[in-house]
Amino acid sequence: MSSIAIMWQVARREVKERGRSRAYLLTTVFTFLIVLALVVVPGLIGGDTDEFTVGSVGEDNDAIVRSAELLGNALDEPDAEPSVAFEIEHFNDRTEAEAALSEGELDAVLVDGASVIVESVGGFGESAVLSLLQRGAASVELEMIVSESGQAATDVIEVMTSDPLETTTLSGQDADDGSQGAVAYAGLLLLYMAVLLYGNWILSGVTEEKSNRVVEVLLSSVKPWQLLAGKIVGIGLLAITQFAGTIAVAVIALRVTGTFELPSLNFATVANLVVWFVLGFLLFAVMFGAAGSLVSRMEDAQNVAFPMSMIAVVGFFVSIAALGDPDGLPALIGTFVPLTAPFVVPVRAALEAIPAWQYGAAVVLTVAAIFGLVLVAGRIYAGGLLRFGTRVKLREAWRSADT
Amino acid sequence: MLELTNLHKRYGDVVALAGCSFAVEPGRMLGFLGPNGAGKTTAMRTIFGLVTPDEGTVTWDRQPVTTEQRRRFGYMPEQRGLYPKMRSHDHLAYLGRLRGMSAREASVSADSWLDRFGLAERRTDPVEALSHGNQQRVQLAAALVHDPELLVLDEPFSGLDPIASETMSDILREQTAMGKAVVFSSHQLDLVEDLCEEVAIINMGGIVLEGNVRRLKDAAPIRHLELELDGDVDTLIDTLDGVRAVRSDGARHTMIIDAATDVRGFVAKAQDIGRLRHFSYTTPSLSDLFREVVT
Repeated sequence: MSSIAIMWQVARREVKERGRSRAYLLTTVFTFLIVLALVVVPGLIGGDTDEFTVGSVGEDNDAIVRSAELLGNALDEPDAEPSVAFEIEHFNDRTEAEAALSEGELDAVLVDGASVIVESVGGFGESAVLSLLQRGAASVELEMIVSESGQAATDVIEVMTSDPLETTTLSGQDADDGSQGAVAYAGLLLLYMAVLLYGNWILSGVTEEKSNRVVEVLLSSVKPWQLLAGKIVGIGLLAITQFAGTIAVAVIALRVTGTFELPSLNFATVANLVVWFVLGFLLFAVMFGAAGSLVSRMEDAQNVAFPMSMIAVVGFFVSIAALGDPDGLPALIGTFVPLTAPFVVPVRAALEAIPAWQYGAAVVLTVAAIFGLVLVAGRIYAGGLLRFGTRVKLREAWRSADT
Repeated sequence: MLELTNLHKRYGDVVALAGCSFAVEPGRMLGFLGPNGAGKTTAMRTIFGLVTPDEGTVTWDRQPVTTEQRRRFGYMPEQRGLYPKMRSHDHLAYLGRLRGMSAREASVSADSWLDRFGLAERRTDPVEALSHGNQQRVQLAAALVHDPELLVLDEPFSGLDPIASETMSDILREQTAMGKAVVFSSHQLDLVEDLCEEVAIINMGGIVLEGNVRRLKDAAPIRHLELELDGDVDTLIDTLDGVRAVRSDGARHTMIIDAATDVRGFVAKAQDIGRLRHFSYTTPSLSDLFREVVT
């Protein structure tokens, strides 16, 4: 019986048994619901018009408020609900208006077109109304300057909300293709989550076999590395299914609700993400599997998972740095360290900020690291599996596999 | 034929095996005996490559045992364990497939063993839903599902009630009669004596006694003597040469004496002292032999 056939049997069992388990079905449904919520809820909230009530004391306030409203809605789609709506409430004196403001009936008070009062600065709602009013006042002033110069004061709002400069990039990116960064960021976040979530599945799957002692029966017929590899393939298939399902749910929900505009994906971007997703998953899965073989009880499993989780966190932060500065030193180092490469390289590639040779070298190094880790982990796994009870030290596992 | 030859294994300062050798032929059942920590489990694990000996060989039909060959062996480890959430039938079929059976063969064999153990109705129940006794049965079926040429069972009788022990004995006899080689370890010496023609006794990592049980008993340098007498037994026993051990259980005295000791005069003396209610002089039991070689 070939190793492939054995691995396939092991993988098949994982898919069949784990795929049917309540834990898998629940996490799947739960993930779908969270993704749906993430997509749909902002759509519901974001679709509403923000309503502001501005108190007016004295003269020259109405024009500012009207301009603020126009500015706030300038970027709306033609048929959409307006983003903001202003209401003006007139007061006879400042004290009355301030009282209403402190009661929370008003969002801001304008006095004589010259000053604005808000309750406090720093919060989100206040700064939105404040900045709109400031810009509204500026445009009113501009209109005045323009009309005093004898020219028509039209279209000041339009000019103020447009990007008159044409943008080109040295890297040859499409100017409004900044979405690639968003795609890279999303892919990165997904990889990070997948590594931790599915890595833990592998860890607990291995520990479980030790804790219920079935492993000795299994190892009487199959080799440790065949068991580990089959497990990684099986759990990997479940992981990818759940993952692809989650992404599909997200994409469909986005299409239906139109909450965010979907960035255009070309083949290279998708291939880049998939390649590094698989490489990253394999790399961490092998490590998690070896770690799982060191402990016999689920309670101990989280402790041995800690180093891998830390590596993933470091990888995540290096890649965030790479997102900001794709040519910087951290990004460069992260590219050539196989443990961080799956996080860093796809980001740099999406930003088109990685030379081909570096990309190739990173793939080769990471694949080599996976093979190296399979050998190391396979040996730790073999040495750790039949030592029950307390946590096995890494060195002990290594040595006992040797003998 | 399975042959373990001169196996040595150390774990740091601990010597687990020190020149352990024994053999089992097809159609024979070997009782593998020894005190706790003598190296029984380690020796059995070497057969399955779960322990790699520092020295020595494990062969089947004079060839070193390969992974491929091990798939035609059946093993029941001392530490029982199955996937608790897996259905009994699926579990057995999975193990059958891991050992090279086709999907159909594995499924049919799993069902036939469940049927044999009266678990046909429970075939879709998860293992964890079965009683302890039934889990033991599934564990035994796990070792048998692929119709192995060699059966290695580590303490198969531990924790079994008398009825389950009987079933286990029947299956071992049956498998042996089918021409399989069977090795099992046990501390229940009476049971082993009843079941096995051959035994191997291991102590401190080495085999201290091996062979046909009857011949071993005949050749043993000791005899088993039981006596029940009204009168001064202690003085009487003092007159007997070569007494190795005396155990008294009320009126009944059990002695292990040298085989060379002539007991004819002793019987006459006993009859002089008082009424002789019981007297037996036999070859030693397996328990006697065991105690003799491991202490």
